[in-house]
Amino acid sequence: MTLPILPTAIVGSYAMPGWLERLKTDYFARRISRHDLDEIYDAAVKAAIKDQETAGLDIITDGELRRDNMVDYFAERLPGVQIDRSSKKFYYDFYESAVVAKLPMASMGLVQDFNFLNTYTERVAKFCVTGPHCLTKRIRNQFYPSEEAFATDIARVMNLELKALAKAGATFIQIDEPYYSGFPEDLAWGVNVLNTLVEGVSAKIAVHICYGNRHGKPSWEGSYRYLFPAILKAKVQQLTLEFARRGGEDLDLFKEFDAPFELGLGVIDVKNTEVETPEMVAEHIRRALEVMPAERIYILTDCGCFHLPRDVTFAKLKAMVEGTKIVRNELGK
Amino acid sequence: MILKLNHLKVKAAAATQGVIEAVCTLVDEGLIDQGQFARLQVELDWIQYKSNFREAVTATQGYNAFGQRVPIMDVHVDTRQVVLETLHDDLLRALRPAEPGVEQDRALLPLEEFQSMRSSIVWDFNRFFWRHLLAWEAATGKSYDKALPGGSSDGHNPLAIADDVAEFLDLLCGLQAKNRLPPEVNLLEIGVGSGSRCVQWLDLFLKLDQERGTRLYPRVRFYMGDFSEDTLNKARPNVARHIEQCRFVQLDAINPIKALAHLRHKILQVHLTNVYDNLPDEEVVRRDGKLYFVQVRAYVPEDAVSRIGGKYGIPAELFRDRIYHMLETGFDSFGGAEHGVPFWQELWAAMRLEERLVQLEDLPEFPFPEGLDAGKLEDILQDAPTDFRFHLSSGALESFIRTLPLLHPSGYLQVFDIFVTDLAQYRTGFFGPGKLDGSLLNWVNGALLKEVAQRQGYNVNFRSFKYRADTHTSILYTTRRE
Repeated sequence: MTLPILPTAIVGSYAMPGWLERLKTDYFARRISRHDLDEIYDAAVKAAIKDQETAGLDIITDGELRRDNMVDYFAERLPGVQIDRSSKKFYYDFYESAVVAKLPMASMGLVQDFNFLNTYTERVAKFCVTGPHCLTKRIRNQFYPSEEAFATDIARVMNLELKALAKAGATFIQIDEPYYSGFPEDLAWGVNVLNTLVEGVSAKIAVHICYGNRHGKPSWEGSYRYLFPAILKAKVQQLTLEFARRGGEDLDLFKEFDAPFELGLGVIDVKNTEVETPEMVAEHIRRALEVMPAERIYILTDCGCFHLPRDVTFAKLKAMVEGTKIVRNELGK
Repeated sequence: MILKLNHLKVKAAAATQGVIEAVCTLVDEGLIDQGQFARLQVELDWIQYKSNFREAVTATQGYNAFGQRVPIMDVHVDTRQVVLETLHDDLLRALRPAEPGVEQDRALLPLEEFQSMRSSIVWDFNRFFWRHLLAWEAATGKSYDKALPGGSSDGHNPLAIADDVAEFLDLLCGLQAKNRLPPEVNLLEIGVGSGSRCVQWLDLFLKLDQERGTRLYPRVRFYMGDFSEDTLNKARPNVARHIEQCRFVQLDAINPIKALAHLRHKILQVHLTNVYDNLPDEEVVRRDGKLYFVQVRAYVPEDAVSRIGGKYGIPAELFRDRIYHMLETGFDSFGGAEHGVPFWQELWAAMRLEERLVQLEDLPEFPFPEGLDAGKLEDILQDAPTDFRFHLSSGALESFIRTLPLLHPSGYLQVFDIFVTDLAQYRTGFFGPGKLDGSLLNWVNGALLKEVAQRQGYNVNFRSFKYRADTHTSILYTTRRE
């Protein structure tokens, strides 16, 4: 499938509807069955796919609507992780989870969700997974001698899963590592873990690094300068970063360090309900074109749209698509 | 009949016995039927506000959206005001509107239609008070601060400020050590009064900064926010020695982010003292598994209309118009504040609120404050008492929810105020509205604020205000959570 220049996509999650939040809670309260919830998820994911296509995005995700949050969906599937199911009050809270023995190698069952996405869109599908560094920050380590050792073993298990996804037809996989920004001191070993995760996976790999989006708010502030030069050793094709909310100052780092990656350029602020205009989007893209050729730039939201209202999300995506078209026209492509 | 005795003080025991006897007599006399008796919920309380909006005995009837009575009735007896000798008649008068076909026969002058407390005229009076504070103070001969418990604002307490400054500087140093301290250190105080807290805070910060050699004072930007430009102008000279650090912003306490959108996620400390308890509020009753919204109607008892009207030469038929005129234009029609303020004070003291309960299911368009809706409220009430009355704290909740996005990821919001910190506390007494001088006062439903904020990704806890003995003030402390 050929993508246009400056392909557009969301980083991962689509707007979580209020009714789905209530139904998730209903499931926790045993008012609806797992079977019913799965059917609800199927319907919600189809709607999210359709919305993205209607907005005009070139690359489609499943909106991550089956996930309670970016951690629990993986913690529940990681073999060997113990979950205290009474530990959360709201579906969006994190479970108390722990690893008490070496993680066994086993399937996490992500292929099923990818297949569903791939069945319902004919456009390029992107599948997003939370990275090992992030997971080690939320799953209590009661076995491994260090966080690095724990993360490396998670990466080994997940590497199998990523290979299975590629085998199932996933051509584009995104690894989410927002906690890099909160723990820049971990980056040296974090990149090694990332490389373990993606080793031998025959798909385009993007790594998304933001400043946090928990509850729709940044968890940290700062500059992406901390990523360099360590990140240059990452064996990934794309770095996906937030620039809409934070401004484009850090774009110059790509030039300064001659970063070999494609740039996933965040042009939509997902922490603000104000809808950008296409011209604002175009301006962000023009700024990025000063440091990188259009052929290496993907146009994205800053992060997932989980916390935005659906109508706002849709309007923002439309603006993103229209803004991108302005620049494509300027480039004559 | 359910009898709830919330407070065991002075006349409570005698009043309780009196209420039981009076109700039984009314049943014997056939003035209350068995059905009505069975449904009655009588609550006896010692209203902590000497000046409030209640009669000694009041009854609150339930209604549906069509104005038809539903079989629910609360009776409130203020054991502080009650006169045992007239209890029988007071009870009968309060209960009478509940009898089908019997119209209200109380002598009163309504100032409005039944409506949400939030939009009641009493809040116009509250705004009027702040607008004409100087005139009120001149007439009483004492400053508003003196009416506060303790005689001054807890926000000005030197020990509280000192602790806060030390904690804040520790926070800054921690961020600096991790190279995460922003170039500008932004603070915000909403409701600045005379600027007294701000100047004390900056004095102490400068001193501690110099002692520790941290050199952070020049980076401080202290935003002083108030709805009144006059207040800001009056505060300005008081903070003159720190003027380089101060920024003056006119803002609406209910929507701070509107004026401060450029500081989204950038403020490291937000402080408010006794602001939330004076923001428009409304109440909800939970009874027998259903929610009822409390609608109010402000009125003046007719004997007060005669007394005050006679004294100030206002005929009864013009009384209401004169009130509205005063709220709109001030004291001109009284020939100035000298005569207008006493009228206002006597009127305010006489004003009462009638109440009725309207089932929430019958109000599909009920305007929940931002951050809350019917589903969330039901969810929050899951672990709450089944029978109780609580504040929605609409103004406080909206202010809170519209302030939180200003917080830097490592920042905190602190509020010195009177909080109900557990919904079960509402079973133990009366928490407003009361009158404080010419202003309105409500305890703030901190438990509700906490639940709403938790769902939006914040930790909320309450600390006791340890700097003054026997105080009701507590500190709501909010930070981001993962």
